[in-house]
Amino acid sequence: MSLKHTVPEEPRAPSLVPPAVAALLSLLLPGLGQALARSLRRGLLLLFSFLTLGGLLAWRIRLAAPRDEGLVAITRKAFHLQPFLLFNAFLLLLLYLWIAWDAWQTARHAEGAPVGIFALVLIAFFAVGWQVGEIDPIRFVTQLDEAGPPLQRVLWPWERAIEHPQEVQIVSAPILSPCTGEPFEGGQPKEGEPYLLTEPTCGNPSQQDGTPGTTFTLRGFGLKPNSEAEIWWEDPIGNEFRQRQEGEYVTVQTDAQGNFEVQIVMPYRLLPPSAGEGPKIWTVEARQVVSTGQARASKELKLAVEKIIETIFIGMMATFFGILLALPVSFFAARNLMSASPFTLVIYYLTRAVLNIIRSIEPLIWAIIFVIVVGLGPFAGILALTVHSIAALGKLYSESIESIDPGPIEAIQATGANWVQTVRYAVVPQIVPPFVSFTIYRWDINIRMSTIIGFVGGGGIGFLLAQWIRLLDYRAAGIAVWFIAITVAILDYVSAEIRARFV
Amino acid sequence: MLEIRNLTKIYDDGTVALKNVSFTVPDGEFLVIIGLSGSGKSTLLRCINRLIDPTEGQILWNGVDLAQLEGEELRKVRRQIGMIFQHFNLVKRSSVLTNVLTGRLGYLPTWRSLTGRFPADDIQRAWQALERLGIADQAHKRADELSGGQQQRVGIARALMQDPKMILADEPVASLDPVLAHSILQRLESLNREDGITVLCSLHYLDLVQRYATRVIGLRQGELVYEGSREDIRQMTDAQFKEIYGEEAERIGAGGGITGSIQEDSVAGGAA
Ligand SMILES: Nc1ncnc2c1ncn2[C@@H]1O[C@H](COP(=O)(O)OP(=O)(O)O)[C@@H](O)[C@H]1O
Ligand SMILES: [Mg+2]
Repeated sequence: MSLKHTVPEEPRAPSLVPPAVAALLSLLLPGLGQALARSLRRGLLLLFSFLTLGGLLAWRIRLAAPRDEGLVAITRKAFHLQPFLLFNAFLLLLLYLWIAWDAWQTARHAEGAPVGIFALVLIAFFAVGWQVGEIDPIRFVTQLDEAGPPLQRVLWPWERAIEHPQEVQIVSAPILSPCTGEPFEGGQPKEGEPYLLTEPTCGNPSQQDGTPGTTFTLRGFGLKPNSEAEIWWEDPIGNEFRQRQEGEYVTVQTDAQGNFEVQIVMPYRLLPPSAGEGPKIWTVEARQVVSTGQARASKELKLAVEKIIETIFIGMMATFFGILLALPVSFFAARNLMSASPFTLVIYYLTRAVLNIIRSIEPLIWAIIFVIVVGLGPFAGILALTVHSIAALGKLYSESIESIDPGPIEAIQATGANWVQTVRYAVVPQIVPPFVSFTIYRWDINIRMSTIIGFVGGGGIGFLLAQWIRLLDYRAAGIAVWFIAITVAILDYVSAEIRARFV
Repeated sequence: MLEIRNLTKIYDDGTVALKNVSFTVPDGEFLVIIGLSGSGKSTLLRCINRLIDPTEGQILWNGVDLAQLEGEELRKVRRQIGMIFQHFNLVKRSSVLTNVLTGRLGYLPTWRSLTGRFPADDIQRAWQALERLGIADQAHKRADELSGGQQQRVGIARALMQDPKMILADEPVASLDPVLAHSILQRLESLNREDGITVLCSLHYLDLVQRYATRVIGLRQGELVYEGSREDIRQMTDAQFKEIYGEEAERIGAGGGITGSIQEDSVAGGAA
């Protein structure tokens, strides 16, 4: 509904009812008093405003308390849950009363009544909008704390851009179990390599009944300094498992030389009969994650680079196909070329209508449609942007064809030039600059659009970005955002430069 | 010699723009066509170089009926007839030099002209034409950067490039102020006198007509209503002019007499 209201300038005929009656009637039915005071439009407008606002309020109240029954219960619950609704209700009541007062005023004065009441109507609609939009500025402040860390990661994501190849380094020492009485050579010192020594070198595992096994003193040398190492075992039949102590996994910290020392109790392990009788060799291990080799671009960085290239090409291909198809279409959509006969005029109107319809549908929606047709991926994005480009460029091209000045064409013809020469010297100079300008503008838009077309599966970096945001991988998402920003900025500059040269 | 015989033009919408018009123009004349707006002046001029196809009649130029020509033959004739327009009709985004060079298109094979490179001869000629019209220093500007008077001079230079035997000028000074009007008409006059080019020119103002015409024809609603020599028109008073021409007739210099208008030339010459 429209709130446009013009206050009548010339004096109206006197009211049909006295002011008091008008006010009373407006209490019965808002706006009735105004209508009888010969302000029918004002009355209708107020009635519709009042009913619309009332309807909206009732809807919001019902929505706030969906499971309650009974008018009173619902209202009480709704006002309790969303106190803002009280304000809405208050405005509605105020409007109701003001309409009555307005009826009294309108009936009393023959000249135009004040328009202040419509300000109230606007405010009431605004308040409903506030409620419907769930506007909550406080949330902006309270949730900023939580949003901080992820936002920081998005803003400076570069840690995620490089990675070091990592591998698990295992340093081990053999342990004989049970002891045989003969000395057993456990771990041995090694030159230039990390090694593990145990004291003693043989022992018994813990028993199922809880009897603790032999306590070993485990000493590691030459491991990665100042970092953690996990203690693992490998039993005689080759099963690997982590050392636990009082229910916790054992992790040791190496010192500045890469050495550590720890006491561990040999764990319980049920060995199958097939393992056989007699002493067997166990292995105790210290495991560390160490980086090997050079830092290199992370998987995410590589993906982002691949996808930004894909993105740029989606935009480029769409622009290219768009130009190719928009060129012929634009001739059909140019009135000056098509007004020769009724038949061509029909084609003109049809082309115009189709272009307008296509253009009014957002590229994102085209992308969804083409994802259904050709499946996920860049092709769907290219198709979506192509279709939109044809419509947009077709319109712009045809408008520049329409604005061709016929004067120079006539003048060139008068020199004795033939058709080809006339096109070359009178038509081309007039349409090439605007065509170039529009095309570059479109290219710019297409690349921007192709960055988000991936959100609906149309390929390009948007797809990655959406995925990373969903996985809460904010650093990776940050890389994508940076790439998009850089690409768009460069593009902006380049297209502005080109346009400045041509036009 | 140009001989128009019973020329009639009826537009598609039924407008009769020319009714049975006949007159002759000996070579070397400066023929001025007068008549109210809508009287058919533009239609007449455009029929001569066939930008418009006449409905009936003959346009005999040195014995050839231009009304019958088509295609290549027509273009060969057109290139000998220069045309100058009220709104100059330059290609606004092209340079002045390119605009002037397009005057040579009728002499160039199509393939040659497609690249946009003109033969050195033609470029030489274009510079001469620009120099003659006093706008050589503007050659590399875009045409729409020039003032109206300068643009019309580019228009004349373009016509000059055609090596024309005849120039058709359709209200060449109607969008220019009086001083510039004289300057432009003097250039046409010099082409007419020095190069012997026949000029057919439509004009609005009595003093300009009196100053430049060697012969005058008057049109009213598509009909030829007046034919006069140089002497006839010089002795004509404003009242007589109005009678032939219609109530709208006026002098270009407000209140200026015939002599007054001639004195203006020297001012215009200096400004050119
Ligand atoms: N393309 C056209 N179609 C129909 N009528 C036209 C066309 N051009 C001119 N006319 C009409 O022909 C008459 C003569 O026009 P024109 O030759 O332009 O006169 P002038 O140049 O003397 O002003 C006018 O009534 C005008 O409206
Ligand atoms: Mg005209």
